[in-house]
Amino acid sequence: MNPQELVDYTKSLDCIHCGLCLRTCPTYQLTGAESSSPRGRIYLMRAVAEGELAATAPEYREELDFCLACRHCESVCPAGVRFGELIESARSGVEKVQRRGFLARTARRIGFGTVLRSRAWLSLTATSMRLAQRTGAARLLGKLGRPLVEMSTVPPKSERAPLPATTPAVGPRRGEVAMLEGCAMRELFGRVNRATVEVLTGIGFETKVPQGHVCCGALHAHNGDLDGARELARDTIERFEATGNAPVIVNSAGCGAHMKAYAHLLKDDAAWRERGARFSARVKDFSEFVAAEMPADFAGTLGDELGTLTYDDPCHLCHGQQVRAQPRTVLERCGAKRVDLPDSEACCGSAGIYSMLRPDDSKAVFAKKAAAFRSSGAQTLVTANPGCHMQWESGLAREGVKARVLHVAEVLAAALRKARPR
Amino acid sequence: MRAGVLEELRAALGPAGVIADPTRLLAYECDGLALLRQKPAVVLLPRNTEECARAMRILHREKIPVVGRGAGTGLSGGATPVDGGALVGFARMRDVLEVNVADRYARVQAGVVNVDLTLAVEKHGLFYAPDPSSQAACTIGGNVGENSGGPHCFKHGATTRHILGLVIVRDDGSVLDLALPRPDPDGFDLVGLFVGSEGMFGLATEVTVRLVPTPPVTETFLAIFTDLDAACDAVSDSIAAHLEPSALEILDRLTIEAVEDSVFAAGYPREAEAVLLVEAEGTEVEVEATLAPMKAIALRRGAIDVRRARSAAERKKLWAGRKGAFGAMGRIAPDLYVADVVVPRTKLRELVAQSTRIARERRLKLANVFHAGDGNLHPNISYDRRDKDEVRRVLEASDEIMKVVVAAGGSLTGEHGVGLEKQEFMSLVFEERDLHAMCRVREAWDPAHLLNPGKLIPVHACREMRGTERPK
Ligand SMILES: Cc1cc2nc3c(=O)[nH]c(=O)nc-3n(C[C@H](O)[C@H](O)[C@H](O)COP(=O)(O)OP(=O)(O)OC[C@H]3O[C@@H](n4cnc5c(N)ncnc54)[C@H](O)[C@@H]3O)c2cc1C
Ligand code: SF4
Ligand code: SF4
Repeated sequence: MNPQELVDYTKSLDCIHCGLCLRTCPTYQLTGAESSSPRGRIYLMRAVAEGELAATAPEYREELDFCLACRHCESVCPAGVRFGELIESARSGVEKVQRRGFLARTARRIGFGTVLRSRAWLSLTATSMRLAQRTGAARLLGKLGRPLVEMSTVPPKSERAPLPATTPAVGPRRGEVAMLEGCAMRELFGRVNRATVEVLTGIGFETKVPQGHVCCGALHAHNGDLDGARELARDTIERFEATGNAPVIVNSAGCGAHMKAYAHLLKDDAAWRERGARFSARVKDFSEFVAAEMPADFAGTLGDELGTLTYDDPCHLCHGQQVRAQPRTVLERCGAKRVDLPDSEACCGSAGIYSMLRPDDSKAVFAKKAAAFRSSGAQTLVTANPGCHMQWESGLAREGVKARVLHVAEVLAAALRKARPR
Repeated sequence: MRAGVLEELRAALGPAGVIADPTRLLAYECDGLALLRQKPAVVLLPRNTEECARAMRILHREKIPVVGRGAGTGLSGGATPVDGGALVGFARMRDVLEVNVADRYARVQAGVVNVDLTLAVEKHGLFYAPDPSSQAACTIGGNVGENSGGPHCFKHGATTRHILGLVIVRDDGSVLDLALPRPDPDGFDLVGLFVGSEGMFGLATEVTVRLVPTPPVTETFLAIFTDLDAACDAVSDSIAAHLEPSALEILDRLTIEAVEDSVFAAGYPREAEAVLLVEAEGTEVEVEATLAPMKAIALRRGAIDVRRARSAAERKKLWAGRKGAFGAMGRIAPDLYVADVVVPRTKLRELVAQSTRIARERRLKLANVFHAGDGNLHPNISYDRRDKDEVRRVLEASDEIMKVVVAAGGSLTGEHGVGLEKQEFMSLVFEERDLHAMCRVREAWDPAHLLNPGKLIPVHACREMRGTERPK
């Protein structure tokens, strides 16, 4: 296989080896090894493309796997290197030439090929996870069951019900939006989804949810299954095209960042690239949309019932979508007392399914975040991404910190309820 | 490497402290000067002085050459490995060991990143003055190695003025403890001698640095020129007028465009041919006394506009743009060659023009961004290292620039060091006698030439000296 097809060679040339990305890279912070830094990883990718390094080298895959794909390096890179795209293509290249062990291969096939493509499977998985957690079976599974033991309990079936196809606006109708229900969001964070609908409809937007849609393909793309990701992207685009031209509201930062980049993912097919670009232009993160549309009667309603809040930037919101001010703005507008979280743009170690694949690295990355939260003096941590949400819940519990973790939408829903008691 | 040595090193540093697989070693082939590459035999990452000393004892016994590496942002090949040698990296030595607010100094491990030092002390109203543009990445140890400068060194002086003490692991693994801050050391000033030694005298594991009080007032303005020469002349005038702003930087059009296209977009006007970035600090009266005449000079030299930063955030942005400038050039071509020369400040205009001509004659793209106040020019040449002929032309241009600078009374390096890059040019500025003297100083520290061998001093000079002056 032509080694230049195993990485995005052209993009790798943008790096001029200045090193300004080293300090903020969480994996470089852990090991101090150049090869686990953005610059080092790009150097290795470039070496693969130039035939100096075989993509079959196990250490090459290890350093790519070790990366959290947090894209912090992009935010500090003066040369504009698009690391997120580089890591996706390099991982996909490795999958082409390296065979993983039997267990890992099977898990990937079931995970990406089956579960993340079917609502029935997702729902069944969630139910069995809950069962394993509640009965203690997860503990008996030993190492395999560890992620289950450590994560927050999967909510009961009643909380995992689908969102209605259409929820009418409350009060005067100002417009219409479409909303991504999400694969994991629905199974794990139904309450956040419902809060999202409550706020959107509460500020006057009829909310449509394409029925039967499962997954945007972000997890596939981040983990080297670009073909699977493309298939799901096409499906997503089609289903949302059917809802018209309304903005597509996303309350999961990882999905939003990915859906905003469909044109790149589908770049090899002109017609789909075009449709992808049109679709991406509609995608808005929840707080990005609400910050622009928030009505005045919201202002200052929240007292200190949620305690002092602090907001942690999900990587794929700040580095992936450049959305930084809006979540803070909406939190403050609704009257919440907010303090800054030191180093809020540093990765929390969740990184999609990373926390399950590499639990030790994930925890090591989280340790700094816990310290930052402690020093902030806040009682509630606010985030905007399901992975981060779980990571914070389980991480703070593990570190013995008593705190509440909420999605921005949940805070706004609380404020709304207070502003307009039913 | 002899069998068993790796195991011995692993026992000394722990498994994560030794990198020996060919894939990971590849990532250490070069520093910020990507033109020159050499894979090391092994990379060692000690966590403290003791581990570093242990490793050095083993390497010394085995006669394995050693190159020190901070963040590998150096631009002269100082951290380029040597064939068959070890690289000792300081990326796991990142602790601030002590901050003494009353006596205004801090003790840090060598791998602390420059900006982290300032972040650690700013709450005490102090800062660490030398601020290389790479400060978000480069380490204090690397700054010591290169005697680095930065925009604010115009007023505060380069690294050497801020290093009060060092702990040095010597070639044989013995530890020389000079950590106590002494304003006037007994005997020779070994600390002063060590700063700028480019890893050839030993490895600094701990550094005691001077901290400076944060000035009460800092003001920054941007003078906008439609002509690069005029901006240079404004700087020459302000030097002649004995003005002392804390920083005086020039960015030319190509640089402005690159920065404005990057994540560090600072709001430099794209229509300008050059901008002059001026900062002054001190009391309100002092700042005014500097900035008012500066402004007058800029306008007299034809500046079309002078804009003052209105807030701390705006000031920060102006500086982030300046500091991201090298990196932003990466948007123009895959590789960047950053030259570093110092010229007499009365000849700024002339030498900027000469280097532009030299590049143009060789069909190369050259951008200028420089510490104008210090006369420290950085002609940046963008190229593609896969184009062998272009690489040749870049090297030729850099030679030519150095020659005209030396002929005009300037010097080879302002702050990036000699390293591998400028080694052979040392003979342009030093006589054999002087080079021999340097060799002898070096041999006092490292008689076996195991520390960063083949750098800084031209190879012939040392060889000759060994042949003629050192009886066996
Ligand atoms: C974008 C960019 C901007 C830059 N701007 C500036 C600037 O404004 N001013 C400036 O002066 N430089 C600048 N540089 C050059 C470079 O950043 C400096 O030379 C810096 O001091 C190098 O630090 P480092 O930690 O990367 O050291 P390295 O590059 O790793 O090493 C530099 C030298 O020091 C030696 N060394 C490293 N650590 C130790 C130690 N602990 N003990 C003994 N020797 C050691 C090495 O062997 C080598 O010879 C810039 C570089 C880049 C890429
Ligand atoms: S900051 Fe950007 S250009 Fe510089 S080394 Fe990192 S990725 Fe490369
Ligand atoms: S994406 Fe995150 S973990 Fe990966 S190289 Fe960039 S900063 Fe490091």
